[in-house]
Amino acid sequence: MKTKKLLAMLLAASLATFSVGAQAQPETAAAKGPRVVTFWSLFTGGDGEFFDAIIDKFNATHTDIQMKTDTVKFDNYYTKLTAALAAGTAPDMVVIHQANLRNYVPNGQLLALDGYLSSMNAPLDDFVAAPLNACKTDGKLYALPLDVHPLIMYANTDLMKKAGITELPKTMDELLSDAKAIEATGNMGIACDNTTAVYKAYTLTRLFFSMIYQQGGTFLTADNSKANFNNEYGIKALTALQDMVNEGVTPKGLDYDTSVNTFKLGEAGFHFNGVWATGTFESAQDLHFTAVPLPGLLGKPAAWTGSHTLAIPADKASDPQLVKDTLDCMLWITAHGEMWAKAGHIPTRTSVQESEAFKAMPYRSGYAAAAASTVAPPDTAAWNEIYGTISDLLEYAVANNTDPKTALASMEKKINEIIATY
Amino acid sequence: MIPGNKNNRDGLIFSLPFLIVFTLFMIYPLMYGLYISFFKYNILGSSTFIGIKNYISMFHDSKFYSSLWHTLEFVLITTPVLLALGFLMALYVNSKSPFRKAGENIFFVPYIFSMTVVSTLWAWLMQKQYGLFNHVIVSLGGKPVGWLTDPKWAMWSVCIATFWWTAGFNMILMSAGIRQISKEIYESAEMDGASYRQQVTKITIPLLMPTISLCLILQVIASFNVFGQVFVMTGGGPYGTTRVLIQYVYETGFQYFKMGYSAAMSYVLFIIILVSSLLLNKLGGKYDNQ
Amino acid sequence: MTTSRNSAGRILLRIFELFILAVWVFPFLWMVLTSLHLEDEVVAKTFHFFPQHPTLANYIKAFTSTYILNWLLNSIVIAGLTMVMTLIVDAPIAYAFAKIKFKGRNILFWMVMAGMMVPFQVLIIPLYLQFNSYGLINNFMAAVLPRVSLPIGIFILKQFFEGIPDALEESAFIDGANRFKIFRSIILPLGSSALATVTILSFINSWNDFLWPLIVLNDTEKYTITVGIANFQGSHGTQYALILAGAVIASVPQFIFYVIFRKQIVESIALSGIKG
Repeated sequence: MKTKKLLAMLLAASLATFSVGAQAQPETAAAKGPRVVTFWSLFTGGDGEFFDAIIDKFNATHTDIQMKTDTVKFDNYYTKLTAALAAGTAPDMVVIHQANLRNYVPNGQLLALDGYLSSMNAPLDDFVAAPLNACKTDGKLYALPLDVHPLIMYANTDLMKKAGITELPKTMDELLSDAKAIEATGNMGIACDNTTAVYKAYTLTRLFFSMIYQQGGTFLTADNSKANFNNEYGIKALTALQDMVNEGVTPKGLDYDTSVNTFKLGEAGFHFNGVWATGTFESAQDLHFTAVPLPGLLGKPAAWTGSHTLAIPADKASDPQLVKDTLDCMLWITAHGEMWAKAGHIPTRTSVQESEAFKAMPYRSGYAAAAASTVAPPDTAAWNEIYGTISDLLEYAVANNTDPKTALASMEKKINEIIATY
Repeated sequence: MIPGNKNNRDGLIFSLPFLIVFTLFMIYPLMYGLYISFFKYNILGSSTFIGIKNYISMFHDSKFYSSLWHTLEFVLITTPVLLALGFLMALYVNSKSPFRKAGENIFFVPYIFSMTVVSTLWAWLMQKQYGLFNHVIVSLGGKPVGWLTDPKWAMWSVCIATFWWTAGFNMILMSAGIRQISKEIYESAEMDGASYRQQVTKITIPLLMPTISLCLILQVIASFNVFGQVFVMTGGGPYGTTRVLIQYVYETGFQYFKMGYSAAMSYVLFIIILVSSLLLNKLGGKYDNQ
Repeated sequence: MTTSRNSAGRILLRIFELFILAVWVFPFLWMVLTSLHLEDEVVAKTFHFFPQHPTLANYIKAFTSTYILNWLLNSIVIAGLTMVMTLIVDAPIAYAFAKIKFKGRNILFWMVMAGMMVPFQVLIIPLYLQFNSYGLINNFMAAVLPRVSLPIGIFILKQFFEGIPDALEESAFIDGANRFKIFRSIILPLGSSALATVTILSFINSWNDFLWPLIVLNDTEKYTITVGIANFQGSHGTQYALILAGAVIASVPQFIFYVIFRKQIVESIALSGIKG
């Protein structure tokens, strides 16, 4: 009896699933409708909402082309993208971090865009030069930059007032003494994540990287074949990171979520993060803050930056109309950079940066100037592994207060080993 | 055994659906993975045959050793605890307690949740600043614990989440074993005045040995394959102190594009799991009642 | 620790039991409680155990701004297909292992068990290229097929079938039945509880599968619920209340499935011949 009931249930379930499964097969038979450009994005959480708004607006204002996005959580995005490129099933448009272009361009996976763009008379001169050039390999353009997102400094203006600080710190010494003054008010001096929890402690790496360039150094040698930080620059940079903990202005073992939330709740004086945190902080009630380009803490201004770029898989070349449609979408999206700037990112089109809409937004135009002194990661396929490894090693050196010389020597050795395997 | 039926033919026919699926989706990709492991393999570009170089590099790779060690650490911590927990739970749900039915449900239910759900939930409970655990500790006058950010705690934290998640599965297996033990044995032991403790140590455990050894092997295999909880809860941190081998395999293969090396490492892990299971099976062999 | 006849001891023991049970069930309650908070209350200066302003906002957001209903349906379809195919594929070979003395049986059995030990990471790329060559990327079957061989399921079924007396088969044979008839009319009905167990395990496994469906299913509308809710995790910071609301939604069908099949799970494993 029980058996029969169970078998009947199973049968019913299987029938139901097969029929639903059949419905779920690819449809897209409506050939007469608008042309569709498919797109994979890696924007989740807050970023995702702003990005979806752009796509919605595009679709609402276009009748001939419609965009269709699929979102993949960042952790797994490149895994999925790589598998899809290998099998030729990638969508028409993909988003790739500038630092990751190097993994796809040399293998011929991405389409060189120059010819198409010039035949369309695309306004390439409207793009800010630095991020655009970062998308070039051997003089050919393989992607269009959607944004730049450098590391910047956030400061809580209420706490500064309370601690009697009138000017933003410009050097490491000023930063530390200001942070101490803020500690004295019973708040956290500097919210800077220095340990991996749900998110990796990349801020350490980004600061270390920036500080090397602030002193006039480079992270790798000019030909990207060796580490170039085991020197005075490296020692000063690492010491600065360790000082934040040793001087008691940043708690040991601070993770990313706590760092962001402490600042958001108005309980931290300074905060280092990418520009993407701006959107979150704006939404916080009773938080009065300012966001400025990363000061030249150890010399001249220089800040790590990332950039989201939009690219087209090489196999789409067989359909010129599709490539043209996709480029239209890309140009439209970048031309509406003020919508994306809501998330905090800096637009890459001069016309957007100079538009009233963008200028009217708080904070952004202030730190948009940071774009002038940003440093993109070295152009090497080994960068991902270097970035991940250095991040672990810096975290270790800060947590254990390792002698900087020893720490840098072992970091250098490790990085050189990694480069040798590529 | 049944006259007139051809055993070899029937065996093949009954195995056929499985054999097709197994060959297509296990043997073939496995062989392909082995092939890849002898190449400096770039899935998007050209690949170069490098013989056993990937296997040799492993021996010079400190990250490989540390990741393997973290996996072993996880196996060594979780296996005994999960077996013991499963056993205690099984004893409990077979006891005379009025709550035993509730216990059975409560202990098993976490197992039906997905890894993502369990890991996210525990990462939240253990969040240093805003998580519940530290709120309780602080309100009792203690200092907040870096559950996921202190290298002394991180691995244990992942293990604790795993205990909660999977102990119920072992409970079900062991509870099944316990119910197979005939009631009369316990009844006569009770008449002879044996205490509960004596019944457990003298009757339940010895008679449950085959089930326990089965659980042991299943548990060791599952623990060696640990990845998801670590990836979501600690990201391998702090500074790589919880990075397990499969995470390293994942990173090298899909983030650093060294697929040959990645495949080679996962083969080594496969061999380690295979050998451990065979050894355990040999040790447990005397309980094997097949 | 004798089964104490003294009642004070017994009460203490019961209290202790309740405490342990409460501890075990607590994380689940906390998940639900957190999901009813406003995001700003979750990460706040003051800690509130119960939400100050209980809200369904996170659930409303999950349902209105994502494809969560599609994802749930997809998961049901995929897990359903997987469990049906698992039975079709695994039950016959388990019977063969249990009752047919054929050549290569032991080697085959150990191969099946060894399959359990293969780290899935090594299979992903070959499998992906394979499914692509079949044109099955973005098709639910791609998420189903690699999951239908379930070694533990075969093991449970084999153990159970071994426990069915040979005499039953032999007498059926004398009555003129062949092996296929025996399998259909004796083995399968008698083994229904073990089959239910395997069904349930296969359903749970398929439902919880993450990396593989993520890679083979492209369209957001085609994601499974487990893949879909992962997108709730922001790229720069976690919205705990929202992500836990997603987790609750993703777990409800699993929970219902468990409540329906609870008896089978618990009783059938007990009957499945895992001998004590």
